[in-house]
Amino acid sequence: MPTLSVENLRLAYDDGRGRRAVVLDLPGFTARPGEFVAVAGPSGSGKSTLLYLLAGLDQPGSGTVRWDDTDIAGLGEARRDAWRRRHVGFVFQDFHLVDELSAEENVLVPAYFERWSAAALRPRAQALLAQFGVPEARRRVALFSRGERQRVALARALLFDPPAILADEPTASLDAIAGAAVVTALAALARAAGKTVIAVSHDAALLAAADRVVRLDHGRIVEGAA
Amino acid sequence: MNPFPIVLATLRGHRLTCGLFVLLVALAVALGVAVTAQERALRKGSARAADAFDLIVAAPGSQTDVLLAAVYLRPTAMELVPGDALARLYAEPRATLVAPLAFGDSVRGNVIVGTTAAFVDHLSGGLAEGRSFAAATEAVVGALAPIALGEQLKPIHGMHEAESDEDHADAGHEHEGEHDAHGAEDGHREDGHGVGEAHEAAAGAGSPPVAPPAAGDAAAEGHAHEDGDHDGEAAGVPADHHDGEAEDHDHDAHGAEVAEGHQHGLAFTVVGRMKPTGTPWDRAVVVPVEYVWAVHGLASGHAAGETRIGPPFAAERLPGVPAVVVSPDSVAAAYGLRNAYRDTRTTAFFPAEALGELYAILGDVARLLGLLTLATQSLVVAAIAVGVLTLLELYRRRFALLRALGASRAFVFVTVWSFVAGLVAVGAILGLGLGYGVAILVSAVLAGSTGIAMPAGIGASEFLLAGGIVAVGALLALIPAAISYRRPPVAALRQS
Repeated sequence: MPTLSVENLRLAYDDGRGRRAVVLDLPGFTARPGEFVAVAGPSGSGKSTLLYLLAGLDQPGSGTVRWDDTDIAGLGEARRDAWRRRHVGFVFQDFHLVDELSAEENVLVPAYFERWSAAALRPRAQALLAQFGVPEARRRVALFSRGERQRVALARALLFDPPAILADEPTASLDAIAGAAVVTALAALARAAGKTVIAVSHDAALLAAADRVVRLDHGRIVEGAA
Repeated sequence: MNPFPIVLATLRGHRLTCGLFVLLVALAVALGVAVTAQERALRKGSARAADAFDLIVAAPGSQTDVLLAAVYLRPTAMELVPGDALARLYAEPRATLVAPLAFGDSVRGNVIVGTTAAFVDHLSGGLAEGRSFAAATEAVVGALAPIALGEQLKPIHGMHEAESDEDHADAGHEHEGEHDAHGAEDGHREDGHGVGEAHEAAAGAGSPPVAPPAAGDAAAEGHAHEDGDHDGEAAGVPADHHDGEAEDHDHDAHGAEVAEGHQHGLAFTVVGRMKPTGTPWDRAVVVPVEYVWAVHGLASGHAAGETRIGPPFAAERLPGVPAVVVSPDSVAAAYGLRNAYRDTRTTAFFPAEALGELYAILGDVARLLGLLTLATQSLVVAAIAVGVLTLLELYRRRFALLRALGASRAFVFVTVWSFVAGLVAVGAILGLGLGYGVAILVSAVLAGSTGIAMPAGIGASEFLLAGGIVAVGALLALIPAAISYRRPPVAALRQS
């Protein structure tokens, strides 16, 4: 499992008045395999931006984002896409499932980016859905409860068994019971499966379950930097 | 990569909108396909209808009018080919078939055409049932004419049947007036007739075949028809047909009657049915030309007292006819005859020449329709592209999600392009079928009204048109695809 190591990560933009507004400024940040890291902070503190930079969805102005030996900030976009596909599983607040597809088809979506047939991964998709207690793999996800939908999203994130899981407010749209199930699942992925789990959240239960809480304010880490 | 599950999911997500897009494209393509397929069917059908008419000889004037009368059986006012010119044609060694055509009457709305048995055989390649006419008062009918074999009919003078035959028969009427210019042999204009003008009431004892009066008589006599109360004098004509003292009548007055239609007294019996020809002749009633001459009081074309029909004719007793169909024995003969009969008294032309003029007009209209269709199709496809851009805004987050899950820009590009191009392609294929269906329907309607078989088909031009739309759609699809390709996913993800 890879270790995340961020150095001198900085992202700024022109505020339209000739000044540079700093969105994120991290001299250093690390996360180890099997560690469940929660990122907290007020709105606009740069939590989601950090997540997108760690996933290679956005490019920093300067600095490195190293997963083991791979500095994804230095990769081209196509290589970052390919890397992300295999190394990162994403979980979102609003699940971002394809409503017209079944649970199983949703789990298989990342497979469509790589190969013409997802048939080879179908057993794994079914196993993941069973693991997360999703009852009807062939049912359209639009008919699922919010908790079930998030569990489908978790299964999708694990299709390629990535070493890192990045979650953006994974419990914000769920009730307490469903949220607790997701937190438990994320913690298990870190502790039992040895994955690096980084979750942006305001949820106290999630923050309590995390191994470490990193607090951001105005783009800077104010607490919990390793 | 395999974008199709996402494309299909997107289609399913907006079934109604996507269905509307497809329908719009289908209608636009169908419009173009129907126009081009129908135009080609019209050209084919009209050209095929003229196939049996190798060379047409007529009086100088509008070739189109002659073509419409001879081939499409829509006779109008026409000058006549003089009898001596017809005799000359019969003497032509280069002609394998010479067939006079005479019009002017109808029965139950079906045009009556006078010609020869040989031309019937030439046109339909034999009969479907019965036999060909062997006497002046016998007739064969076209394959689609709603007349049964064995029926005895009396013609209505003119092309429109104002009342039923029975009503006319009961009324029985006579025409009186001044003929301004007589002499069928001279060939002169008569509205709605096409066959001579001086109608001699010549009746006599006997039954068909008819032996109409001498040509000289015909020129001198007036026109009189009545049922049952005329004195006859000419041999071979039923006693109840023509009045021996027929009076001259005015042409204008007669013209008015043509529009209304009035019944001739001479009945004929249907003895055969032609094979289908796919031409207006399928609804025609074909009688010996001698019958038409007799009905209109003209010379019989044969020696006095002779009752047979068909060639050889007596040259000095041949009345004029509106048109003569000639089959030359070679291409050289065709051009030779065409040149030989182009003088002050006759003109000769190949149907293709007159069709060419008609097609030029048709082509102009078709081109205009084609341009309008193209404009419509372009607008539809452009409207779809705009609609798709709007739709893609709704899916902006979905594509951002795909990027977050590891999809490349190329995957998003191909997905969006496939989505838009797929809509256009499906619409084009449906439009091709729909246009074909419309063309078949219009062909059937036109065939019903004109009698011309117009087999509508999908050809290269229709495939080209549909392919063109698909190509334009594929090009336009690049726009939303490129927009989606360039759009960074983070902004859309932040909308969560």
